[in-house]
Amino acid sequence: MASKMAIDLTQPKNVGTSSAEDLSDPNYLKIRDLIYQISGIYQSEDKLYLLASRCARRMAAVNAKTPGEYLEHLTIRANRDAELRSLLNEITIGETYMFRSPQQLQALKSVVLPQIIEAKAKLGFKRLRLWSAGCSTGEEPYTLAMFLLEESEALLKGWTYEILATDLNDNSLVAAKAGVYGEYALRSTTEPLRRKYFLPVDEKRMRAGDQLKSLIRFDRVNLSDDSKVVFLKGIDIIFCCNVLIYFDLSSKRKVVQHFYANLLPGGYLFLGHAESLYQVDDTFRLVHFPGTIGYWKPPVGYSGGKP
Amino acid sequence: MISDKLEKLRPKIRSLDAIPTVPAIVQPLTAMLQQPADEIEMERVIELVSYDKTITAQCLRMANSPLFGRRQTDTVRSAVMALGLKRVQAVLMSCCMNMVVPAEKWVFDPVTFWRHSLGCALVSRKMAQSIGYPDPEKAYLAGLLHDLGILVNSLVCGEDFRKCIQAASDEHVALHRVEEQQLGFTHCESGKILADQWHLPLEVAEVVEFHHRVVPSAGPLVSLVYLSDLLCRVRDLGYGYYEVMGIDLAGDAAWAALVQHYPQLANVDLARFTMDLDAAIGEIAALVDAVFTTRK
Repeated sequence: MASKMAIDLTQPKNVGTSSAEDLSDPNYLKIRDLIYQISGIYQSEDKLYLLASRCARRMAAVNAKTPGEYLEHLTIRANRDAELRSLLNEITIGETYMFRSPQQLQALKSVVLPQIIEAKAKLGFKRLRLWSAGCSTGEEPYTLAMFLLEESEALLKGWTYEILATDLNDNSLVAAKAGVYGEYALRSTTEPLRRKYFLPVDEKRMRAGDQLKSLIRFDRVNLSDDSKVVFLKGIDIIFCCNVLIYFDLSSKRKVVQHFYANLLPGGYLFLGHAESLYQVDDTFRLVHFPGTIGYWKPPVGYSGGKP
Repeated sequence: MISDKLEKLRPKIRSLDAIPTVPAIVQPLTAMLQQPADEIEMERVIELVSYDKTITAQCLRMANSPLFGRRQTDTVRSAVMALGLKRVQAVLMSCCMNMVVPAEKWVFDPVTFWRHSLGCALVSRKMAQSIGYPDPEKAYLAGLLHDLGILVNSLVCGEDFRKCIQAASDEHVALHRVEEQQLGFTHCESGKILADQWHLPLEVAEVVEFHHRVVPSAGPLVSLVYLSDLLCRVRDLGYGYYEVMGIDLAGDAAWAALVQHYPQLANVDLARFTMDLDAAIGEIAALVDAVFTTRK
């Protein structure tokens, strides 16, 4: 008798607020897992409320009454591919602002750059190449440019560096080159950095200054276009945030294989903060940093141990 | 090398007499924590909770907290039911360790310490379940107690230990590295002494001793807790400061050792496993809060 009760006790009952009731619909977990399987974007259970609110907008758009009905739109209805893409857009909306991933920058500063610098300095090669693959409207490359410039008298003293920023979308590239941003894009950019690297355009907007722009080379690149991607060589670090999610598995694999070839040994690939390469790739090594993960192309001869 | 360390450790070992003897509750509790959930007797849990009025108060407080959404609960029985066995065990264990180290003797921030210990306990159990380790509850217990030596160092090294923590935090490095340099031994060795004195299960004592230095002879539980400890430290459940880390877990010797025993580990989606930890942080914070807010 006592033992039976104990089994129940390990499963404290969920409490009945209305949002908790919504979230307890197992279809949200199914949608979560579907998104993960298709795109590699993962929402842990404490983020399900976010997923639910993003779904809610799409559910209203397609007139689905319940998460279960919406799951059908994503899986068995004729327009499922388009709907999945719309949902992915909804999920990644608002992801692009500067300094979006401070943990990534912290990992760069404390582990990745010191490691690369040490290895390259031995070869007397003091030059660094970063690639923002799928740079959208430019927030990521400008963030990286600020980060590098802030390290120019410290970690990177005596080094030269450049950022390659590519996208498929011409409109995005035009906006990225112009480099004019409003409050949303600059929400996490501190006042001193704004003053140092941006010029006011009007009351609400600022434009990236020449110091930033001179570090970045913008270019139109289709990541699926082998003939062009193959020529990008000698990259130290690739950032590819919320881009692979739109590729099907075989294209994803191909792009990631190219990334591996584009990188120098010892180089790193960083994805969006909720993305992973599970089942896409097993040549990169998954490396854990505080609060974030990265994918590493180990130097020749690496067989485990410390990166 | 090792004898040199032990020489330095010896006077400290003597002063370990200053540690209160094992609280009466520890023995039955560690025994209980190792049983499968369906073999634990409800009455025994209630008895243990009633053992001490502080523990009772903490369980009641927690059962009434908004996180668990309870209506007013005023008996030990209903509190235990509301919280669930696992949470009650965690509260019990941390309370009785708090009895060992009086509030004024804490050198390490107790909230940080319990966040890390409970985090490591949960991650160890979760990993145990994911790879088919036969005794997830033992993994939980080992995770919960792996840093026992931090309590010992707080008690016997006081100010010297405080300096270690400060230096580790200033330099963003692992605590045991600084302990090695400044004390000549780490919380692993001092923890082992207490683990033996308390007659903790041998496997758990082994985890306490080797969780930063997986030796080839160590059992799989040591590797498991070693990896869980690393995961906690990169996922905001560490020692409360930014530790510079870039770790290839699957390339670690401990990983290789564990895969030999539990091949399923190779199939674990590590990125997803890691991201799932973030969901546990809120729950851990609430547990720790329950243990500490009534102490003040």
